[in-house]
Amino acid sequence: MRIHPGVSPTRVLGYMGLAALLFLVTWVWTLQIESTLENPAMANGWILFGIMAFLALFSARKRLPFLPLAPASFWFQLHSIGGFLVLFLFWLHTDGVGAKGLYGQVLTALFYITSLSGILGLVIEKVYPRQLTCSGVEVIYERIPGEIAEIREEVESQVLKCTDETGSSTLAEHYLETLRWYFQKPRFFLSNILGSHLSQHWVRQQCMILERFLNEKERQYLDRVFTLAEKKRKIDFHYALQTVLKTWLLVHIPLAGAVTAMVLWHLILIFVFFV
Amino acid sequence: MEENKFGHDQSHYERPNQPFRCGRASLWQTPCKQGPETDGTCGGVQECTPFLKNDRWECRRDNRFGGPCEDGPGPDGACSIQRPPCAPRSTLRVIRGRLVVLAVGVVLALIGSSLALDPTVGGLVSFSDAGPLSKSHAKFTEKKGCSSCHEAYGKGPVEWIKAVFNDSDISSHCVNCHSFGGPDFKAHNTSLSSKTQDIQCVTCHREHSGPSMSTKSLTSAQCNSCHKNQFDSFERGHPEFSKKYPYFDRNSIKFDHSSHLKKHFSNEKFSDKAPGSCLGCHTVTLSDREVRPNSYEKVCATCHEAQIEKKELILLRLPELVQDLIDHKVLAQACNLPDNKAKKEEDFLSISTEQPALVSAFLLNIPEDDPETYNQPLQDLILAMAEESSTPFAELIDGQSEIAMSEKLLAGLNPEVLKRVACSWGLNLEYEPPAEAKFGGWYADMLEIRYKPAGHADPVAKSWVEFALAVSSVQGEEDKVARAVAMREQILSAKDGVGGCVKCHAITKVKTAEGNTRWGVEWHYGYSDARPYVRYKHDNHIEILGTKSSCENCHIINKQADYMASFKEHDPASWVSNFESIKKKTCMQCHSETQINLECQKCHLYHFKPGFKKGMLTAKAEPPSSEL
Repeated sequence: MRIHPGVSPTRVLGYMGLAALLFLVTWVWTLQIESTLENPAMANGWILFGIMAFLALFSARKRLPFLPLAPASFWFQLHSIGGFLVLFLFWLHTDGVGAKGLYGQVLTALFYITSLSGILGLVIEKVYPRQLTCSGVEVIYERIPGEIAEIREEVESQVLKCTDETGSSTLAEHYLETLRWYFQKPRFFLSNILGSHLSQHWVRQQCMILERFLNEKERQYLDRVFTLAEKKRKIDFHYALQTVLKTWLLVHIPLAGAVTAMVLWHLILIFVFFV
Repeated sequence: MEENKFGHDQSHYERPNQPFRCGRASLWQTPCKQGPETDGTCGGVQECTPFLKNDRWECRRDNRFGGPCEDGPGPDGACSIQRPPCAPRSTLRVIRGRLVVLAVGVVLALIGSSLALDPTVGGLVSFSDAGPLSKSHAKFTEKKGCSSCHEAYGKGPVEWIKAVFNDSDISSHCVNCHSFGGPDFKAHNTSLSSKTQDIQCVTCHREHSGPSMSTKSLTSAQCNSCHKNQFDSFERGHPEFSKKYPYFDRNSIKFDHSSHLKKHFSNEKFSDKAPGSCLGCHTVTLSDREVRPNSYEKVCATCHEAQIEKKELILLRLPELVQDLIDHKVLAQACNLPDNKAKKEEDFLSISTEQPALVSAFLLNIPEDDPETYNQPLQDLILAMAEESSTPFAELIDGQSEIAMSEKLLAGLNPEVLKRVACSWGLNLEYEPPAEAKFGGWYADMLEIRYKPAGHADPVAKSWVEFALAVSSVQGEEDKVARAVAMREQILSAKDGVGGCVKCHAITKVKTAEGNTRWGVEWHYGYSDARPYVRYKHDNHIEILGTKSSCENCHIINKQADYMASFKEHDPASWVSNFESIKKKTCMQCHSETQINLECQKCHLYHFKPGFKKGMLTAKAEPPSSEL
């Protein structure tokens, strides 16, 4: 499998330079139109619309993976830079003044929320994958439920073995009272997102509490349970971060759809009533 | 964790783009290997789908999932590992798609419902509303709504489609109410050049911005784009002001600032009445370009009112008569005298030794120094006055000019008094007034009929000034013209003439289309409508510079200027101001690039004489409702 090497910083700077140049050209053009007492909103509005249409193409590109349309990472870079360009063009188009009418206010609000969600998504896309790589575990998001079920089964089998071999139910009781909750499904979602080590402390604490009540043989089983708990903790971490990586699009894309609908309505109103 | 778990032969291929995921996995149980069907049903009820080979059912479980099971399929071909079905859940991709449809649907529903439930047709909200109008525009459009400016509004989809292909002409609606001193859509409302393109109102005036109209100010760069004379700023490139700036128009009131400030106000006799500063006479608050002086009563009356009351008009004086030519029978009858008064005196000796008044000399066209000549017409007038009071005078006055002025000139003249005077004079007696005339108005005294002005702006006095100016400019008989000029000089005499008003009020000589000369008096303070594109905020400057002597920063008295002399020509174009002209450098003391910079529109207006059309200003009362 060919792994895409990623976009070099020089190339990213180049794209950003191009976007800045496009903005400057639009700005100068706007000033030039204004100086001739014409309305520049039409000119910069069409450029804004064009860039927005280009941003929407990223979604189309994802649906056409079989076409040789450059890797998604490349499109993502262009989408991110284009997003910022659209934000500046929007300010240029509206003169930085908020709309007073209901439809203008709705359009403005939707645009800003979409932009904000996009910026947030960009930060997430840049920060979380690195953290996931550093976790030392690699797991496919869709397989996480199976992985957790597998770990749970392994833990429970270790606990049963311990009871059978040692005749002591201390570990089993502790599992039923506390550790079972932990192995049922992904836990510590929020602390994982925020980068807290709460889950790690919790797992260690639970094992340390129990350790002094166990004999040597039982401790060996506890060690195995602890290893599995650590593995589960890393999967929980993956689950939390991958969930955020996937679900921020549940906000961004529907809002972008609403913005597109509003922009089309805006175009209709402008052409019917103004131009 | 197992190594190489992602190998194609080690694990199955995940397809997150499928619409469903395993229901067991969503409950954090071990998901089945097959996963849900595309229609959303559970695909993991059995572990595999056994295959019939040589009349024997074979297990087909994939090697990735452990290979064929130990028990194998049953004799009926059913898989031996059966599970209860799960409830597959939608994948994130499907949820995302639904949210997109929902978001777009909400927007479309809002748009659709707004079209159906527009407030103008009884609905709640308009989703096509671009924002509230300015206060003034909101008022007059409240009945007709958006269609006041947007023609396609409320006309249905067909008209909307048509509107897309036609230019909307919003600005043409603006000039239904707004008017200008020139072409509505030309730059500065004037046809400076045939090449100038039309400019729409909406280019600068933006509506739907709330209660206050949003007007986009022109920048200096925008001015430069049209103007040939281009420059960077007021400091760099702006032309020097005109040599007369800003004193282009002659004052309507001859007020010599130089003599008043240097001479009269420092005179001990008047110093207590003198204003402390310019603001003592000029109101700067709320003033724009022009700072008008306060009223006569506030500014001038304290010193000049008494002078007005001293100046009187002599309408008629009984002169020295050489012979009694009056028909005493007629006089006695007219004056209701006893019969013995109807007889003439044998030795006539005129009671008066005076000359006729210049007014009556002009009206009767008689030489005031020749009793032989004026004897008859003057006595005829006295007899006519005895018979008809003021009527003969009115006829004489109205016969002098094209417009009948007797009504104004003789306003307030008591016919009874006039008749009594005529009766006395007809009998060669002095008229004895019943009481002394203390207040203004017409009165008779011994040998004269006089008019005493009641004060400033006396209408009769003003009419006599206008009459004197009108009749003296008429071309005609030399003697008649000379008498008219003599009358005019006496009436307009600053010393004792009733028309001493012209000491302060400027007279303007105008050439008519027919080539005649007409005279007019500037009775009122004249606003200058020259330079309509220039503005200057006096009050703002005074606010910053202070009220004491800030006026003198710009308005410097020109001691060399012969201000009063320039009024003698009665030509508004030939005039010298009391002040030195203001130079560009005066403004640049503060308005330079490093201090207070100026955009063109700070001092220049874009529109020429903006106003409203008559229809807009007419208040239309609502007809009273019949159902009360």
